[in-house]
Amino acid sequence: MSKLRDFLKPGATLLAVAVVAALVLGLVNMLTAGRIEAIALETTTEAMQAVLPADSYTDLEVEDDGEINSVYAASGGGWVVEVTESGSQGTITMMVGVDEDLTCTGISITDSSETAGLGAVASQASEKGEAFRAQFVGASGTVSVSKEGGEIDALSGATITSRAVCKGVTAALEYCANLG
Amino acid sequence: MNAKQQLKEGVITNNPVLVQQIGLCATMAISTSLFNGIGMGLSVLIILTCCNVVISLIRKIIPEQVRLAIFVVVIAGFVTIVDLLLQAFVPALSESLGVFIPLIVVNCIIIGRAEAFSSKQSVAASFRDGVFQGLGYTVVLICMCLIRELLGSGTIGGGLFNGADSFLTLDGTGAGFQIFPDTYAAGAMILPVGGFLTLGFLMALLQYILRKSGEKKARKEKEGEE
Repeated sequence: MSKLRDFLKPGATLLAVAVVAALVLGLVNMLTAGRIEAIALETTTEAMQAVLPADSYTDLEVEDDGEINSVYAASGGGWVVEVTESGSQGTITMMVGVDEDLTCTGISITDSSETAGLGAVASQASEKGEAFRAQFVGASGTVSVSKEGGEIDALSGATITSRAVCKGVTAALEYCANLG
Repeated sequence: MNAKQQLKEGVITNNPVLVQQIGLCATMAISTSLFNGIGMGLSVLIILTCCNVVISLIRKIIPEQVRLAIFVVVIAGFVTIVDLLLQAFVPALSESLGVFIPLIVVNCIIIGRAEAFSSKQSVAASFRDGVFQGLGYTVVLICMCLIRELLGSGTIGGGLFNGADSFLTLDGTGAGFQIFPDTYAAGAMILPVGGFLTLGFLMALLQYILRKSGEKKARKEKEGEE
């Protein structure tokens, strides 16, 4: 009898603690989910406006190829492509504006978990971050970092992040080229 | 356990980073700008205090065999709550600290204090322990951020202030005060190697101070005896 008790008590306590934790988490999630979603939507719209200003965007259907998440046709011509690439710490999601001549009009990184102070600079609103992203304006064809013979100066200490962004822009340009 | 002694232990004599040497991973990774340092320090302080209080509250009903599992559930719960709140209310900080907020779950400071302190002590003492240990962590982070940011990018207060118009920016966008042009800065200080160097020097400095004050105390006691 005491053996059964010894066995059950730890399990039951752990279960009780887990249940309480789950309930509290559910509650917090309920309270914050709406706000987090609103912030994400705002970031997306802001990012689209930043890379290719237009009055409205139409969501086009995308054949799932692992990199391209979604493509929006801008009302004034051109496309905004949302691409996800793997960076050095996790995935990097970015918006790439592409005009009808298949050149990049700008990029904006909407979600990343790169190293603070290094790769994270790519997505920051700082001077360095702006300068890094500005390099992509006017890029076309295959985009790569200067180390690989391309035109993009990689962020210092963040070659992997810089490469991932190049790869994303290339993928977006390629996808739009196939759109016609 | 009086509060003054606990404060001294948390910040100096038993500082979580410099003396206990726990929670170093995140310390290295995020101490590159003041905004990150303060944000991370406060997040850990809040999570540590909450976990300490809850674990101390339920310390008598925690079965010995599953105590670690219960600590982890409590810690993961609070970390997730703070993560969600940051995402909803301070998105800039959440973006800047990235994956290091969820990683507080495996930060040894919190499980270390749970095992060593709050699972054995009263709620009030555990609360103080959380605040003071968290304060000790924050102080070290701020020191490291100041040193690394200044040497590595030539700025002070990155994210918190905007040097151009010396304006307080609380959304992490400020570039900080440029003390010297960043072309002269040692970029390596922002890299992990700079973190190790800074931490090593800080540890050595604290050991030196502790030894000096220990010798002084010993001398005083000796004089008193004679």
